Amino acid sequence: MKNLIKYTLHDYIRSHKYFPPISTFVILIFVFYTYRPNPIIDSYAVTSVMLYIISAWVCLSVLQLDPPVQRQLMAIHVGGWNRYYLAKLMTAVIIIIILSAYAFLYPIVFNMFGGRVTFTIGLVSFVNHIILAVLGISLASLFSKLIMRSTINSFGGLILTLVLSLAALGIERVFPSFLKNVLWVIPPATITQTPLVNWDGMYISGLSLFPFIWTIIYSLIIIFLFLQLAKRLR
Amino acid sequence: MNREADKTGGGSAVTMLVELKDIDKTYDRKSVLKNISLTIDTQEIIAILGGNGVGKSTLLRIIAGMERPSSGKIIFRNKKMNIGYVPERFPKNIRFTPEEYLNYTAKISGMPESIMNKSIPDLLKRFKLEQFNNQWVMNLSKGNIQKVGIIQAIIKRPDLLILDEPLSGLDSLAQQELLEIIKELKKEGTTILLTYHESNLFHKVIDTTYRVENGVLTKETDIVKEPIKLLEVEYLNESHVEKWDEIISIERKKDKLLLYVQAKDSDKILYRLLQLQGSIIRVVTVEAPEEDNR
Repeated sequence: MKNLIKYTLHDYIRSHKYFPPISTFVILIFVFYTYRPNPIIDSYAVTSVMLYIISAWVCLSVLQLDPPVQRQLMAIHVGGWNRYYLAKLMTAVIIIIILSAYAFLYPIVFNMFGGRVTFTIGLVSFVNHIILAVLGISLASLFSKLIMRSTINSFGGLILTLVLSLAALGIERVFPSFLKNVLWVIPPATITQTPLVNWDGMYISGLSLFPFIWTIIYSLIIIFLFLQLAKRLR
Repeated sequence: MNREADKTGGGSAVTMLVELKDIDKTYDRKSVLKNISLTIDTQEIIAILGGNGVGKSTLLRIIAGMERPSSGKIIFRNKKMNIGYVPERFPKNIRFTPEEYLNYTAKISGMPESIMNKSIPDLLKRFKLEQFNNQWVMNLSKGNIQKVGIIQAIIKRPDLLILDEPLSGLDSLAQQELLEIIKELKKEGTTILLTYHESNLFHKVIDTTYRVENGVLTKETDIVKEPIKLLEVEYLNESHVEKWDEIISIERKKDKLLLYVQAKDSDKILYRLLQLQGSIIRVVTVEAPEEDNR
């Protein structure tokens, strides 16, 4: 699998398909930190949500890199479809780790914050970037053309889901209480925002961890669903 | 008649490599393969023939594990069997040189670097591809892309090699090289499954032939490996004979034509040649025309 990840990264670079999502993210971060000083935790919470959208875009472009016959050949070489798809998802994860590092380090290096980023705040913020990015990757895999045959269902479905997930807090407020359980189905892209914004940044124990754990569980369920569907639809 | 294919095509349980049981495949409610049962034994060379769009490639992809049958079962003797697959159309947009691509595929398959470093340059040389090592596969000719497609399947010396129309776009030298490699692989224990059109190149090496028609697989009666005759003719235009189905291959030597035909067809062909005012110089029985042509 390690070599398939290397192959995919090498091919992704040569294809130049990385350029639209990555350049968009670089510009977004640059524009976001135009003024200073910025609040640390709140700023990182916002750039995590930006990365959530960008990671979905990165994942779509990585999964659609191989033409169908190449996909079949690589699945044979790597020893199965699960290994093939996991290698592709891992490639997307490696790319978003680099993007997370950029989003994390840019404001520190260019002194965009009013205060010092402590180890605790830094760790939580960095992990939050990764968690939300993995959520974006999992959703994009489910809406990729490997599962959705039509472009409208693939892009349209993904954009609708991303928008819906970002609007979840607003939807929760207007939803009648007996329907609130339905909200568990919506991707938890914003549930880590509230505990982060309310956190004083002193100790991790002062932070409600459930939203973070739920986001990880949700992503794993979606990836499992993607692997099952991708195998069935071949 | 799939059941019969199963009965007649199968070997003993000890040598069975893959077994297909009642395979059906449907695309958009259209049935492509119907109730196919087949046993593939080790070290066998099997040809699956049939017209365009009859489901040959689908059957090969199902055996390779790349597609799921709509119903039925595939049993592999060894679940971790090493499969090599040459697709009918190898992807055109590969952004690597042949060597880079083959190195990646060998590493992805888990091939030891020491073997890989020896076998890839050797195969590139055999298929005359080493001169294209500064170009990406996507910029190569159709035939050279097909050669890369063949090499990626054979570098790991697979237990089961599946070739879907492997001759498409290959020049005669590369065709002969492929034939030699197939013979070598068979000796080493590889089972080979292939489809092809309009060629007698594999005629001598095929053990069993199946035909797919209307989604149904039937076993063809054994190919009689008859001797092949070489007819040397003068004063005859190639265009007169090139469309004759009985002719296996044609070679031009100065103003003479060398025609290879099966012994059973030679009288019929000789009669036609004389009718066309061709002058027969000699008729000889040859062992295998493709070997003489090299």
